Amino acid sequence: MKLNKRSVAHYALSDSPADHTGFLRTWGGPGTPPTPSGAGRRYWFVLKGNLLFSFESKESRAPLSLVVLEGCTVELAEAPVPEEFAFAIRFDAPGVRPHLLAADGQVAQEAWVKALSRASFGYMRLVVRELESQLQDARQSLALHRCVFQKSVTGCNKPQAPDRRAPGPENGHLFPRDRNSNGSVEERGSRPVGRDLTEWGLQGPASLLLSRGQSPVSPETSCFSTLHDWYGKEITELRRGWQQRAKGSQPESKQQSRP
Amino acid sequence: MRYNEKELQALSRQPAEMAAELGMRGPKKGSVAKRRLVKLVVNFLFYFRPDEAEPLGALLLERCRVAQEEPGGFSISFVEDLSRKYHFECCSQEQCQEWMEALRRASYEYMRQSLIFYRNEIRKMTGKAPCTPQDPLEQFGISEEARFQLNSLPRDEQTCTGSQLGVLD
Repeated sequence: MKLNKRSVAHYALSDSPADHTGFLRTWGGPGTPPTPSGAGRRYWFVLKGNLLFSFESKESRAPLSLVVLEGCTVELAEAPVPEEFAFAIRFDAPGVRPHLLAADGQVAQEAWVKALSRASFGYMRLVVRELESQLQDARQSLALHRCVFQKSVTGCNKPQAPDRRAPGPENGHLFPRDRNSNGSVEERGSRPVGRDLTEWGLQGPASLLLSRGQSPVSPETSCFSTLHDWYGKEITELRRGWQQRAKGSQPESKQQSRP
Repeated sequence: MRYNEKELQALSRQPAEMAAELGMRGPKKGSVAKRRLVKLVVNFLFYFRPDEAEPLGALLLERCRVAQEEPGGFSISFVEDLSRKYHFECCSQEQCQEWMEALRRASYEYMRQSLIFYRNEIRKMTGKAPCTPQDPLEQFGISEEARFQLNSLPRDEQTCTGSQLGVLD
């Protein structure tokens, strides 16, 4: 199977933030000859997102190996030698042996296990949605305190797609407008829809906007035009999605849940 | 650079964010467009011959640039050489737009930026840093053991924020 290795290596070496780094001993990996002492080879490891790279040394200009971490579980392991601080990265895939690694101490071991356990795309998405939801709550409590947003629903902030009433099976939750043609913001505002929206799989600022019908007109929100563009993009693509669903021209895969 | 090919192949079989048959042309000069089943799974774009189960290849989407080419067509290239483009032909500009938006969001770095965005917004709203979850799964009642498979590890009540979050400070 081909992989854009040059780009991958470039990403590994780039200044994008590493989620964790450190020296680890490894026994694993195809093509790694065993050391005479069985103590494992010590490499410099860099975790970026769901990708674990190893390097011969901190200064190496090319990664030795990559472990794609999606779908893995991390657990403590018995090292081949009476070695402490070992852990294993295990995959569900058939015929795949776990990757065995060992840290230099207990603190490092725990830190690595934690970091690797959180290295999936899905986890990161969860965190983003959590913050999104917190932002929503912050907005709502700000609105309640200021009594400003109750009246500030503008037509353009509401999604215009007429086929909103026919959500796909993944949309377990209906808009308030489906119950009440008024769709007043008070009605929306009273319901904590944050979690429901995340269940829809809506991401980004659009979900905030849709739930609150608010316009981000707040003195504390700087760069409104940037925000507006950001929201606008999401709205446009959501609208397109609704229209497509209404036409029934949706590609089948869109209905699948994310890993 | 070695990589865990089997696991990546298994990933290609996971539910996709987007999947469609598109025309695809590699970056080499003189390459011809072929029909490929293109599948977006997390931050990888897999491509298959239409009737085959195993992917021909994968593109990691970090640090990629997605650009509109001709109407109904887009390209993916990477920052280290933006002239080397993978070209894709869609059946409509709408489909093209959908793919471009999905691909732009399909990276860890994009999510990191979203994270920073939300943190800043929360800070501005509340005047303080968000109570960034020690772990968002905590509140869903999923035990640390189950989540991290840490059967032997002592339960740590004072977990620090995950390193992914910490790195943003």
